[in-house]
Amino acid sequence: MLVYMELSMRAGTAPICPYGQAGCHVPTLADLFDRVIQQSSRMHGISSDLHSQFEQYFLPSKNLIGKRKCHTYGILTPDDKENAQRLGREQLTEVILRLLGAWGDPLSQFYQSMSRDQNQDFNHYSSNKAMEISDMVHELRDGVAKMAEKMKLSGVLDNTVSYVSPESFVPFSTVSYYKRGELNPMDHHDLLHCFRRDSNKVKNYLRILKCTTLPGLDC
Amino acid sequence: MKKPSEAVLLLLLLFFTPHAKGTRFSPPGKPALTRCRSPEKETFTCWWEPGPDGGLTTTYALYYRKENSEAVYECPDYHTAGENSCFFNKNDTSIWVNYNITVVATNTLGSTFSDPVDIDVVYIVKPNPPEKLTVTVMEDKGWPFLRVSWEPPHKADTRSGWITLIYELRVKLEGEDDWEMHLAGQQKTFNIFSLRSGGTYHVQVRCKPDHGFWSEWSSTSYIKVPDYFHREKSAWILIMVFTAFIFLILTWLLHMNSHSLKHCILPPVPGPKIRGFDEKLLKNGKSEDIFSALVVSGFPPTMSSNCEDLLVEYLEVYVPDEHELMLEEGKDLHDHCLKSEGSTSDNDSGRGSCDSHTLLMDKCGEAKEQGRQTEQEERPVETQRHQKEWNEDTLPYAHEDTVSPDMSSGRVKTWPSVFCPLPQYSSSPPNHTSSLEIAKQHCLSDSLFPPGSTSSYLTHPGHSTKETLGPSRWEFSLSNKQPRSLHPQMQTRQQLQARSDINLSNVGCEQAPVGLLPPTARPTEYVEVQRVNEEDMVLLKPVASGRGCGDGCPRLRQAEDYSKVKGVNSDHTLLLQREVMGEEAERCPCQDQETNGETDSCITSSTVTTTQKPPACNYTAAAVQDKMAPTVSGYVDTASIFTLPTY
Repeated sequence: MLVYMELSMRAGTAPICPYGQAGCHVPTLADLFDRVIQQSSRMHGISSDLHSQFEQYFLPSKNLIGKRKCHTYGILTPDDKENAQRLGREQLTEVILRLLGAWGDPLSQFYQSMSRDQNQDFNHYSSNKAMEISDMVHELRDGVAKMAEKMKLSGVLDNTVSYVSPESFVPFSTVSYYKRGELNPMDHHDLLHCFRRDSNKVKNYLRILKCTTLPGLDC
Repeated sequence: MKKPSEAVLLLLLLFFTPHAKGTRFSPPGKPALTRCRSPEKETFTCWWEPGPDGGLTTTYALYYRKENSEAVYECPDYHTAGENSCFFNKNDTSIWVNYNITVVATNTLGSTFSDPVDIDVVYIVKPNPPEKLTVTVMEDKGWPFLRVSWEPPHKADTRSGWITLIYELRVKLEGEDDWEMHLAGQQKTFNIFSLRSGGTYHVQVRCKPDHGFWSEWSSTSYIKVPDYFHREKSAWILIMVFTAFIFLILTWLLHMNSHSLKHCILPPVPGPKIRGFDEKLLKNGKSEDIFSALVVSGFPPTMSSNCEDLLVEYLEVYVPDEHELMLEEGKDLHDHCLKSEGSTSDNDSGRGSCDSHTLLMDKCGEAKEQGRQTEQEERPVETQRHQKEWNEDTLPYAHEDTVSPDMSSGRVKTWPSVFCPLPQYSSSPPNHTSSLEIAKQHCLSDSLFPPGSTSSYLTHPGHSTKETLGPSRWEFSLSNKQPRSLHPQMQTRQQLQARSDINLSNVGCEQAPVGLLPPTARPTEYVEVQRVNEEDMVLLKPVASGRGCGDGCPRLRQAEDYSKVKGVNSDHTLLLQREVMGEEAERCPCQDQETNGETDSCITSSTVTTTQKPPACNYTAAAVQDKMAPTVSGYVDTASIFTLPTY
């Protein structure tokens, strides 16, 4: 629904029909790709800003990253170009969807935690951004899903891609950790760090997906 | 006992000496990782800065640990990237993985660890500069622009979408210091407009991944823009020059006509000015001078230039036919006389060319050559007649003189224009003839009378002429109307206030139309201007009226009617025409008597007078005989008036 609204906002004068209804403009796959990539890029940018703020104000030490894992570490993601290209379109799409799905709830918690905490100076600015990225994740996931559907329809994608529940890929400890409710600032920082990376992955995977599916000027 | 202390000292020295030397040797200083960079997000390189080596050979080693792994690995390649560097190839590079890198400096004395650095390769991407930068000049509707194109660095794999680069280029003119930046986004071409004609441009481009570092600027590409403004600039230059030229011309015209424009726009306000009024006189304080200055000779305005408009009535003077020649002769003289008279301006100067009677006579003789056939025939007759009459008659001439302003002391002064019509009158041949006649008559009159007496014809009432001639008076009036019939061109101007009604009767004569055919036997009569009355009427009296008139004279006065002014000839001679009223016979005796009297007086004058033809009884006879003869148009010689001395 949100992706629909987002897509309709970008459509211009004609409304967008995700389901191809009559009287509205049906976006092409290229358009969907462009929109999704833009969204992911923007999401990544916001998360980077938040992370840099946290690092500036909060944590001088950089060694904490090594000791704490991101809750999405269970999702196998290609860590270089060859691996990503070797993965194939279907799996790549699946990875994207998993990543996006895995971050929906944690970001909501993060936002709620941010808004609850009144001590910090930059709370207002950060909480708005947290809310933003929280919404973005959901929209992006829906958008990618629709794009995957379209790709399946156009024969680009095999039908092996399935919409998988995100929780199945999250380690229990991390999930429980995040579901504790109360997140200290340390958790905020780790969360942002992890999200920044994952958003970058999403963005990169989407670009690879696009260039392998629709090689054109942008690639 | 001394030996152990000395040994200890030596040992101490030995111990310290190497230590003393060892202060030069120390474990290596702490190295520091300066930077790590990945050009294509597939490999990366780290560089460190070695610390003080401590004097000993120091080796450096780089160790790294990957995220969530305890395994420590050493740098696989120390050489590819140069000195103090570590190069991670593709196999060793993992993206989205945190690297913990440490550099260790080791020498014989120890090793020193640097501070660890955490890096994620994604965030340390600094691509190579774009390659194959090309700049070309292209044209868009006559205006050139630069088309810049480039290619991404060959190592960066943008084709698969692995890395996304955005570009930026900068342009500057040769010789300038400021670059013009243009963000090109993900496109690999760019157009630059607003070029300077004939300029050389430097173009550079660089790139950056969406989250990373800017690359170095590419090598400069030079491009020279051709001169394309000539065609249009020259047209503009021509237009500007032309406009400037027109502007200059307009300015010059305005300057030339500034005066007239000033008069047009801002007409000068006339100030009050009284003619003849001199402020300096006021300052002098002499009222006489002031008022005398106010008295303008030209007021009432009777300018000589307007004299032709003045109608001067000519007293008709009957001239017998034999006198015609004399008249003819006299005309020329009169012309001369008038001309000369016009020059003189003294009051009672009976001088001038006509003053010299001998001269007049000579001129009259010469005037014969002017040639009028009728006159030529009559000339000798006239001369004879004149002589005869001169001898016989007393020249009761009705000397008609036009009013001469110069003659009178004061009154007639205002009537200078009376003479003016005469020149006009002489403009036409008939007028000329009559004017000559008049002139001749006048000359005759001059000859007949002494200069003094003749002068008194006009202005001096009761002068010598009066004494000599008798009290006969004619009203001499100048009217506007009468001359018209005879001399249509003679128009008296309104300025002429004098009105003279010449009531002259032409004894036995009919009115000559133009006075060209005077009665042959008519004697010349001259009317003396007695005075000017209050009504500006010139009162004329016949010159010979007093002589032996007896009873006939009063009647003569009434009978003869010099009421018509023929006109004024060019010589300022008032041409009067006498109308025949009848009673000619009665006048004749008077005339005879007058002429006799006149003859006596005239003889005393110069010989010139002999030529003049007195209006003797021959006139009467001629008048009777020739009723058809037109009235001799007597003329009043204005010139003579000037010359006649006052009495």
